[in-house]
Amino acid sequence: MIEVQSISKHYQHGGKTIAALDNVSLQIASGEIYGIIGRSGAGKSTLIRCLNLLERPDSGHVSLHGDDITRLDERALQQRRQRIGMVFQHFNLLRSRTVAANVRFPLELAGGQSPAQMDARVDELLALVGLKDHKHKRPSQLSGGQKQRVGIARALANHPDLLLCDEATSALDPETTDAILALLADINRQLGLTIVLITHDMRVIRQLCDSVAVLDHGRVVEQGEVLDVFLAPQHAVTQSLLAETGMGQGALQGIWRQRVATPVIKLTFVGEPTLQPVLDKVGREVGLRVNLLSGTLSEIKDTPFGQLLAGVVASDVDVSALPAIFAREGVRCEVL
Amino acid sequence: MLDFDWNLLLEIDWVEIGEATLDTLTMLGVSMLFTVLAGLPLGVLLFISAPGQLRARPRLYAVLSFLVNVLRSLPFVILLIVLMPFTLLLVGTSIGVAGAIVPLVVGAVPFFARLVENVLREVDRGVIEASQSMGARLPHIVFKVLLPESLPGLVGAATVTAVALVGYTAMSGVIGGGGLGDLAIRYGYQRFQTEIMIVTVVLLLALVQGLQSAGDSLVRRCRFD
Repeated sequence: MIEVQSISKHYQHGGKTIAALDNVSLQIASGEIYGIIGRSGAGKSTLIRCLNLLERPDSGHVSLHGDDITRLDERALQQRRQRIGMVFQHFNLLRSRTVAANVRFPLELAGGQSPAQMDARVDELLALVGLKDHKHKRPSQLSGGQKQRVGIARALANHPDLLLCDEATSALDPETTDAILALLADINRQLGLTIVLITHDMRVIRQLCDSVAVLDHGRVVEQGEVLDVFLAPQHAVTQSLLAETGMGQGALQGIWRQRVATPVIKLTFVGEPTLQPVLDKVGREVGLRVNLLSGTLSEIKDTPFGQLLAGVVASDVDVSALPAIFAREGVRCEVL
Repeated sequence: MLDFDWNLLLEIDWVEIGEATLDTLTMLGVSMLFTVLAGLPLGVLLFISAPGQLRARPRLYAVLSFLVNVLRSLPFVILLIVLMPFTLLLVGTSIGVAGAIVPLVVGAVPFFARLVENVLREVDRGVIEASQSMGARLPHIVFKVLLPESLPGLVGAATVTAVALVGYTAMSGVIGGGGLGDLAIRYGYQRFQTEIMIVTVVLLLALVQGLQSAGDSLVRRCRFD
């Protein structure tokens, strides 16, 4: 369990004090993938750096598995950091070292291993990230995706109990992004490793994360399980972030309500019902005929979900009775 | 120059030219060695103590930076003379090749250190941050990150310094330091022996060219791509 207890961080800029983080608290369960999303300048970069104290908060505490790392002295903190992996947007590999030597670097820092042991561990890690054949290359000879794989192998070298990803896929093209996200998901499953990532991209959250916190102007404005936040975003920032990736419906609802005279219902399918002909079944039962206005069908992590907006053209029962009828089929229905 | 009698070249005392060349190479080699030994640590210290850097010590940095600036702003000829008592104390003589090496080092160290500081500033901050995130201590960062990552730049800085030192050695004649530059001034300029002037200039030119291309090829060899 990782606990961030009301941390704040301020910067002086041009005589003014700017709050990068304003009383932020988070609870991250062991083994989960926790996403922090926000626009640039929201403070997410500062927040993730507070988890290994690359940035020290002005106040508040950060505990990893019960140990308050803000109380550690420099030497102890350096040792603790050896078991906190970090992956960076721009990879930050040593240009002067080969792929293998880059992965070996954190092992050298930790010490206590013979060269043969280190080499064996490097081979193991390169196999894990699928870079065995590129062992002797320099970073400059690799593609972006390959560089990030080296970064991930390096971050895992000392068997970390926490992996921090600082916009790990933001410098990559969509295809490579998918491959790196799949690798991270794999590592999370295989090693049971807790991953905390920051991103500005809702797709990363959707594909990878279990929980999410939305950061805006240094404050957490919304947090919870990804499914809940996606299906019922509460805060305006969350809604607009979702809308940008084509996953929000807030704006759409407004438009349809103005143009469509009939009552409008919103149906939300999560999991199994997504794959069933629920609308058709209910339609036959209660003589419901609808005019479909918009719909999405997608997946959040491994859970399929769908949302439909429909104008009710005809119905044998009163529209207000529909939520209960759909609820029997495991589908949430709201009358808008 | 047009009515220069080229036959004069045949009458040159080549032994003296040879000795002068050796003197220049000795002064250059020894002072370069000490310049790197003292300048590299000083450059690293300047870099890490600068405000906002790894071990920011703004006061220390201000003092070091001021000293470096003072030494760099003194013309080398002045430095040669001002340092004479210090040189005598340090190496037992203030004249000749040995006497010239101390002021050469004192003149070149601040120059090289400042170049080193600038080269180290070019190291990607992200790479330093990444090493910190892995628990690297300061010595790790200096020896495993800063110096290896900036090796091509450091070799380039050493080359520039060596070429500057060649220029400085020419002035060491003032304190009887000898060398090619001294020869050029004493025979070529003061005694109007143009042939000596030509030969020494050609040799100095060859030396500088040689240093520069050796440095360039080293830089190419230790680049990372």
